[in-house]
Amino acid sequence: MTRHEDRGAALILAIGFVVMIGAISAGLAGLVTSSVNNRVGLVQVRDRQYAADGAIEEAIAAVRRETDKQGSGCSGSAVHTGSLATALNDRTIRVDWRNACGVARTADGLLVSQHNVVFTACVDLGAPCSADDAIITAQVNFEQQPSGVVTRTFVQSWSVNQ
Amino acid sequence: MHAGRDRGETLIEIVITVVITSITVTALVSSLATAGTAGQAQRDSVRGDTVMRNYAEAVKLAARGCTDGADYHVDYTPPKGFTVSAEPAASRCPPVDDPTVLVLSAQGPTGHAQTMQVVVRTP
Repeated sequence: MTRHEDRGAALILAIGFVVMIGAISAGLAGLVTSSVNNRVGLVQVRDRQYAADGAIEEAIAAVRRETDKQGSGCSGSAVHTGSLATALNDRTIRVDWRNACGVARTADGLLVSQHNVVFTACVDLGAPCSADDAIITAQVNFEQQPSGVVTRTFVQSWSVNQ
Repeated sequence: MHAGRDRGETLIEIVITVVITSITVTALVSSLATAGTAGQAQRDSVRGDTVMRNYAEAVKLAARGCTDGADYHVDYTPPKGFTVSAEPAASRCPPVDDPTVLVLSAQGPTGHAQTMQVVVRTP
């Protein structure tokens, strides 16, 4: 190659270099931004799950208080429903429940009332929780003495859906 | 074109090239350093999330064995460089009909802190 054909080659190479380094830098910046966004999303999911978890705990206590007040009034086929909204981790979670009466035998052979309650937690949008937007679904049994006092709660299932 | 003029233009090209290359390399090193710092912060944050979840589960597990008015003990040791705490302190079982809201905190080696609310209940 003659000197004449070589003119401007260094500048073109430098511009090519700049473009290449720019692309690498943009790629790095994109990677970091994407990681941070993913991280924020994961924290939001975690906070939402623990908010739903806490809201169901609050609802269990509410049902227990309600059951204690009702005394021994759990009749065979009665089904009670209710709901509660709880604010945790910067969001409001709605918990709906369906409380069905039953009978259970204790370890020492006594027959006692047992409330079988299914709780469903979702982000509160002002409407009952549907199966699609349920964050947690839990079944909890409440053992009630003939005196009406709930002596113990048993978590039968605790399913985190999203 | 004369050989003398060619030499002059090449020198200017080289000077410009060196300047552009210097600026570019500085930008690259700077962006690599930023990416490295951000990556470290990201790793701490991810580990902090794991620490927070593990601590929350340890607190809930400990409270699951509660009886009304008794104390419970959280058996959890965070990884080296991390500290965890609960406000109010996770120690006294709540009444059966009144769960307690705890604010858990986890702080990483770089000082990045996370907080989260959990509810503990006496079964």
